[in-house]
Amino acid sequence: MEGFSVDLKTLKKQESKRKVSKGYMWALFCAVFWGIWYLPGTVVWVLNPFDEMYSAIAETSGDGMSLVITAVLITAFNALTVMLALMLWNGVLGKYGELGRTLKEFHPCSKWFFLASIFGGPMAILGSFIAMGFIGGAFAAVAGLLYPVVGSILAYYWYGEKISKRAAMGIAVIIVGGVTIFGGGLLTELSSGNVQWIGYLGGLMAAAGWGIEGAIAGKGLDISEPDAGLTLRFLGENIIWWIIIVPILAIVGFPMYSFALQAFEPLTLLVLIFAGITFGFCYVCWYKSFPLIGVGRGQGIGNLYGFCAIIFIFLFFGDVPQWTILVGGTLCIAGSFIMFTEDASALETLRGE
Amino acid sequence: MGNRPIKFRILELFLDGKEHWNYEVVSKIQAEYNMNSAYGRDSINFDIIELASGGMLKDVEQKVDEAGIYKKDFLLHKYVITDFGKVRGSDACLMYV
Repeated sequence: MEGFSVDLKTLKKQESKRKVSKGYMWALFCAVFWGIWYLPGTVVWVLNPFDEMYSAIAETSGDGMSLVITAVLITAFNALTVMLALMLWNGVLGKYGELGRTLKEFHPCSKWFFLASIFGGPMAILGSFIAMGFIGGAFAAVAGLLYPVVGSILAYYWYGEKISKRAAMGIAVIIVGGVTIFGGGLLTELSSGNVQWIGYLGGLMAAAGWGIEGAIAGKGLDISEPDAGLTLRFLGENIIWWIIIVPILAIVGFPMYSFALQAFEPLTLLVLIFAGITFGFCYVCWYKSFPLIGVGRGQGIGNLYGFCAIIFIFLFFGDVPQWTILVGGTLCIAGSFIMFTEDASALETLRGE
Repeated sequence: MGNRPIKFRILELFLDGKEHWNYEVVSKIQAEYNMNSAYGRDSINFDIIELASGGMLKDVEQKVDEAGIYKKDFLLHKYVITDFGKVRGSDACLMYV
């Protein structure tokens, strides 16, 4: 009997370890897809009609405004192709039924995903583009890397998600690593003078937006299926862009529809679809990791996207990384190991008793 | 065919406050939602695992599936709803007072 109970204990421990590894694996895949997304995300800006749109609006309304308006259209298309990728994903998994059932439960459930879409879309993604346009890419990346701080603090205080000292330390080391990766560029950008407050506001929007999105989504994910919840979150984002913001900008006088119609060119469509697939699956992995390892850990490991993006940009565009990237990358990996090696039994439930 | 999200229904089954084995809940949901494949079975079981991970269910007993009731040689779990699960379950199901 003694031997049998020890056996059961071992089995339980193994099973719990498998569950936690699965959670970490999802979060790691999220980082990889997010990193790859920077390829189409960068390329799309120089493709028709977005490059023409940028110069056309810049002539009349100035560079800054033009950048934000073009970013809105790119983000809206990104949301659309993510939605297509997610519909395909749910179809393959046979989850349309669950999707419909979850959508109908607005009060207890889907309201959280619609709320998450407000913070994730117009706040985080647009904020990130604004930071990129007004200060620079490195600043935007560093600002974005701070989102797990917001996410884990909110999840801890709002619904008591457990964050061990070890997990907090891992998250902190990954953030320091990310800041080091983009450090050189960050200093150049900040010391170039002429830095506008709206760029900082964009950075703040990115960090706060993604952090709040994760915490809110975590609340919805308590009682819903991650694939269905995520699709509703992108349904919300599409409504915000295509039914609210794009028409408003068109009414104000920006040529939104004429440029939107020109996006249906083979190369542009291909890049947008690639963006949709990578961004969509990065989100699938992000949302699937939350119920297993919690919002704080999922976001901390997801932050390795900064390092992954540098690797993919190096591989595809040949941008040679500086030494700060090697130091930062090592810190990111060290931070992940600090988190991976946490005792799995501490993660049996993510909330305090 | 069930008409609420599966996790709602699982919590609803646990709102009776009794302990239930995972395979009992899984087979009940499989019948209600017409999910009789092995994939359907595993995805329902995963919903239960997520509910436990989120602190809504508590794992109170385990046994090895020697007879193959669920999956041969796998670990079976008996769960009970937690106080937090009762609150979230009542939010979702509007049954528990």
